[in-house]
Amino acid sequence: MPLQTPTRRLMHHVGLEFVAKKVTGGGHRSVNAGLSLTSMIDFLVVTVVFLLMTFSASGETPIAKGLNLPKAENTLDMIDSPVVAVVGSQILVDGSPAGNTRAVEESDRMQRVDELFNILKSKRELWKQTHPNKDFPGVVVLEIDQNIKAVVVKSVFQTAAFAGFPNVSFMVNSIPKTG
Amino acid sequence: MGGVDVGGGGGGKRKSLDSEINMIPMIDLLMVTISFLLITAVWTHMARINSDAQVPGPPRPDVEQEKVEPEKQLNVQMQAEDKFVLVWKQGATTVDSIDVPRKDVVMQEGPVEVVRFPDLAAKIESEWKAKGQHSNPTDRKLDQAILHTDNKTEFKYIVGVIDAIYQTHRDLTLGGKTEKAPAFNITFAVN
Repeated sequence: MPLQTPTRRLMHHVGLEFVAKKVTGGGHRSVNAGLSLTSMIDFLVVTVVFLLMTFSASGETPIAKGLNLPKAENTLDMIDSPVVAVVGSQILVDGSPAGNTRAVEESDRMQRVDELFNILKSKRELWKQTHPNKDFPGVVVLEIDQNIKAVVVKSVFQTAAFAGFPNVSFMVNSIPKTG
Repeated sequence: MGGVDVGGGGGGKRKSLDSEINMIPMIDLLMVTISFLLITAVWTHMARINSDAQVPGPPRPDVEQEKVEPEKQLNVQMQAEDKFVLVWKQGATTVDSIDVPRKDVVMQEGPVEVVRFPDLAAKIESEWKAKGQHSNPTDRKLDQAILHTDNKTEFKYIVGVIDAIYQTHRDLTLGGKTEKAPAFNITFAVN
């Protein structure tokens, strides 16, 4: 709006309070409320920026229900490989049942889990057939609850290794490094 | 509506330089973007810690095996309740043995107990600096750590020890680029 030199206001002795009252509701509180768009847009923009920065395009790795993964600092990024989950005494390979760990728990001795061994071995054979000219990476990720006993962990670890997956990783929740 | 005044104005015949930006589509766009990002947000970041099973390959009777001197390996024993034992072994020969008092640092984060062993991590790092064999950045081979645990140890304590071993880092040059990498490769003792 262009600026103008202030001039003398005509009829300044006439009180115009009654006009203001009329406009704003006859002395009552106005029903119209103003909303500051600037602060609202600022808030929305900050929210969008935060969410964009924390956005991950790689998606979420599905975790079996009732499983509490341990947390670790010195971790690596997840890779695409078969996932062996140990939930309670049940073993799952990529979500499908692959035996259980009851025999290992009862004997308290490290032993091969045959059903898991056969499924992993067939996965390895299938990979070799579909990728005839490539070296098999032999990577498997173990998804194990934090309270599972070491005998079960070692049994599943060795079973995976003997089935042709010597490169075994443990899935954990990543925590920021301290120090 | 948001108004923008760019000043000026001049004579009455000129077109006004004041213009208005319609804020509604902009706010709509921001709202839709926020909704999409909130729905697709991943709040838990999964990661992995690596290990190696070191399964020997099938014997080749047709190929004559070269006699190679065994390398030093760090055996981390966590069977005792009050201490860790770090044993450097070369083949069947024990080179050195160090006791590290066990001080568990346990933090409760929701349903998960985070177990850490900072003293063990510091001792392993100093041991590797003194006795590690693969510290040259161009050496792609890693020193081997073997974890000994009893059958009843819970997995969270195993992860705590593996995390402490992986805290030791070294420079590794790959393709002319030097970056930090774990100094050890970890496997489990069978017995």
